[in-house]
Amino acid sequence: MRAYRILLGAAVRAELQYRANFLINVIGGICYQGVGLAFIWAVLSQFGTIGGWSLREVAFLYAIRLTAHGLWIVPFGQLISVDEVVRQGEYDRYLVRPANPLVQLITRRIHLTASGDLLGGLLLLAIASTQAPVAWSPGAVAFLLLAVVGGAMVELSLQLAASAMTFRLLSTMSLKFGIDAVFNEVGSYPLKIFGGAARFGLTFVFPLAFVAYLPSTVLLDRTGELAVPAWLAWGSPVVGGVLLTGAYLFWSRQSRHYKSSGH
Amino acid sequence: MQFATVLTYRTDYLLTAVLLLVQVYLLRVVWTAVYADRGVADGITVHTMIAYATLATVQYTLFSPWRFSQIPERVREGKVAMDLLRPVGFCGQMLAAQVGGTAALAPFMVLALPFALLVGGATAPPSAGAAVAYAVSLLLAYAISQLLALLVGMVAFWTVENTGIFMIYRVAAQFLSGALVPLWFMPGPLRVLAQVLPFQATAYTPTATYLGEIHGSGLAVALGVQALWVGLLTALARLVWSRAVHRVVVQGG
Amino acid sequence: MSIIRVEGLVKEFRRPRRLEGPFGGLRTLFSRQYTVNRAVDGVSFSIEPGELVGYLGPNGAGKSTTIKMLTGILVPTSGLVEVAGVTPWRDRERNAQQIGVVFGQRSQLWWDLPLRDSLRLIGKLYKVPAEMFRRNEERFTELLGLGEFLDTPVRQLSLGQRMRGDLAAAMLYEPSILYLDEPTVGLDVVAKERIREFVAELNAAAGTTVILTTHDLDDVERLCRRIVLIDHGTVLYDGDVESLKARYAPYRELVVHAGRPVEVSGVLATRYEQGRSWLRFDPARTQVADLIGAVLARYEVTDLSIVEPELEGVIRQIYAAGDRS
Repeated sequence: MRAYRILLGAAVRAELQYRANFLINVIGGICYQGVGLAFIWAVLSQFGTIGGWSLREVAFLYAIRLTAHGLWIVPFGQLISVDEVVRQGEYDRYLVRPANPLVQLITRRIHLTASGDLLGGLLLLAIASTQAPVAWSPGAVAFLLLAVVGGAMVELSLQLAASAMTFRLLSTMSLKFGIDAVFNEVGSYPLKIFGGAARFGLTFVFPLAFVAYLPSTVLLDRTGELAVPAWLAWGSPVVGGVLLTGAYLFWSRQSRHYKSSGH
Repeated sequence: MQFATVLTYRTDYLLTAVLLLVQVYLLRVVWTAVYADRGVADGITVHTMIAYATLATVQYTLFSPWRFSQIPERVREGKVAMDLLRPVGFCGQMLAAQVGGTAALAPFMVLALPFALLVGGATAPPSAGAAVAYAVSLLLAYAISQLLALLVGMVAFWTVENTGIFMIYRVAAQFLSGALVPLWFMPGPLRVLAQVLPFQATAYTPTATYLGEIHGSGLAVALGVQALWVGLLTALARLVWSRAVHRVVVQGG
Repeated sequence: MSIIRVEGLVKEFRRPRRLEGPFGGLRTLFSRQYTVNRAVDGVSFSIEPGELVGYLGPNGAGKSTTIKMLTGILVPTSGLVEVAGVTPWRDRERNAQQIGVVFGQRSQLWWDLPLRDSLRLIGKLYKVPAEMFRRNEERFTELLGLGEFLDTPVRQLSLGQRMRGDLAAAMLYEPSILYLDEPTVGLDVVAKERIREFVAELNAAAGTTVILTTHDLDDVERLCRRIVLIDHGTVLYDGDVESLKARYAPYRELVVHAGRPVEVSGVLATRYEQGRSWLRFDPARTQVADLIGAVLARYEVTDLSIVEPELEGVIRQIYAAGDRS
């Protein structure tokens, strides 16, 4: 949208004023995201496979998750500040401007260093894609792209829904960190290694599976190992879209409860 | 003082506890899956491995070595000048603050411990001797981790913008400490590197001692190495500190 | 046709009632008991285009809440609010296009960017035609003296400068209505006067309807012809300043410096302070000339003046009466 582009430009210009050690911070961010992969690499170099998945396959899964994560956090990372914005009444300002308040919220600042996550993810994805046993075709590439976007939408929808609760609860920081942590820790593993109850929970209650695991089973031709029907895995990108629509509606509804601060 | 501030963040603690349980659970699932049908790998049983992971994770959360100390913050806000004037030594103060932080976290960890054991796995130490050695090793490990945190914090006297470097350090330290992967499973060159650095003394040594994987003469060596690091790091801290004071005084704080 | 119409406006805030006793905090989280606070309780008024209205009331009176409903920030519990034919909370973006808002306590500008950039951003956001933008930027730069700090980042500006910047930003797209929320708070005398001049000019020359919320009665005396007074969520008075004084303070005072206390008939009340006698009289019943004559005849007067009732005193009186009822 028009307003988004205008406000985003402003945010970038403002951020460029703070010329912190950009490169080092980006590398730091990548390291933080990459420690999980380092762990798996060390373990698999000793044990060979996990749940039947080789290092290349797990790396592929990891790359999808990381890219999906980067894809939502770069544009929408400011959702983290919704507590402060609502509590301090900065949100008043958004309501008085002719633009969507959510757009104004996510463009209030931009953390350029978060783009490291996205770049790292893309790089890893590029490498892992060549190494993983995937039968590449235009269709497969298209599915991969859709899956990554869908994965970003899944994570975004959960964070957006959590942010919507701020209008009522005024404090959702811990909840959002919690969601982020679970996605970070558990999201890069082939979920078949979990027991039945956990697999169910991570698919239908906390839709982590749709971000990376299910799409990778499709591309790696491993849908046989799934406890859910294969068509569900094929439909992963769609799930992202559905969840996001729901989350946005929830946000719109909750924003009517905005109370504004004392003055 | 640190104790009081830190204790007020109750939801923060709940989150830490939940995160701990998630990590422990995940590690158990991963190690079980990785072992698959193997009962033993390299002489280590799957149960031992799970116990290692559980214990190491709990320790790591308690030590919180990523909470580097207030030094960077105080430098940025210019409060350092005030601290330098206080009668208690600066380093002593900072260390006390760090310990206070751990003390505040400790009760929550104690509460979370049974859950962690339930979600992960545990075994009793193979002998009373191992238990005693563990206690000693754990204390030494804590000392080392706090000294490291202090040293890293002092970097703030030289640079203001240090998020990136801290992050890299934190990740490297965590990995090389054996908090994630025990040294015995580390690939060759990595293992050598880890043995040379102090990090393994903060996580691997005590945990392995508890499980009896280090015993006998090897134990004496390991404890000796820990003690050596405590000495080295204290000396290093003093050195860095005197340089820092010099810099602060010369620059005007 | 009124440009702003408010009828029977009500806003209630529900807060969960804090429970006492053991586990109070936890039980509060789950309780379904609420305390209801009626911040705005049936407010009605209408404003014609081009008016300059002061909206006054003590803290907690429901002032800011009303304004927030007018600007579309809050959704009313019940009642009607219509601004230039638009319901603010329903058609928020359309409403935003036709109003300018200046919050005294918070800036609308982009903190890290130079003022000039903020103005340009507003221009783009509100789709201001290039010609209008250029014209207004020049005009406001001159009127408000922005030239010296147009290129300074907003976070480095003084309060007075920031206020002027906010005003310029608010009027850049020539909205028909301007809301000013405590625009002169914390400013020095010179800065205050500058702001007042600007607002008066806008109202006179461009016919902008202005709603001014303020605690500073000098603002009101200087700018407003009409006042709406609110307390405890209801309108206590709605009319022009003169009638307000006439209704609540139908008197003037004759101040006489005569060496000793002055006593004279035809007077409502007398007080003696700092060597002066303050004779309160009702101009409708007692002629000024008669009174002065009576005083001059009996006393050796060294100084004499006539004082109008102060708006502040009048308003304080009204608040007090409102509290009592």
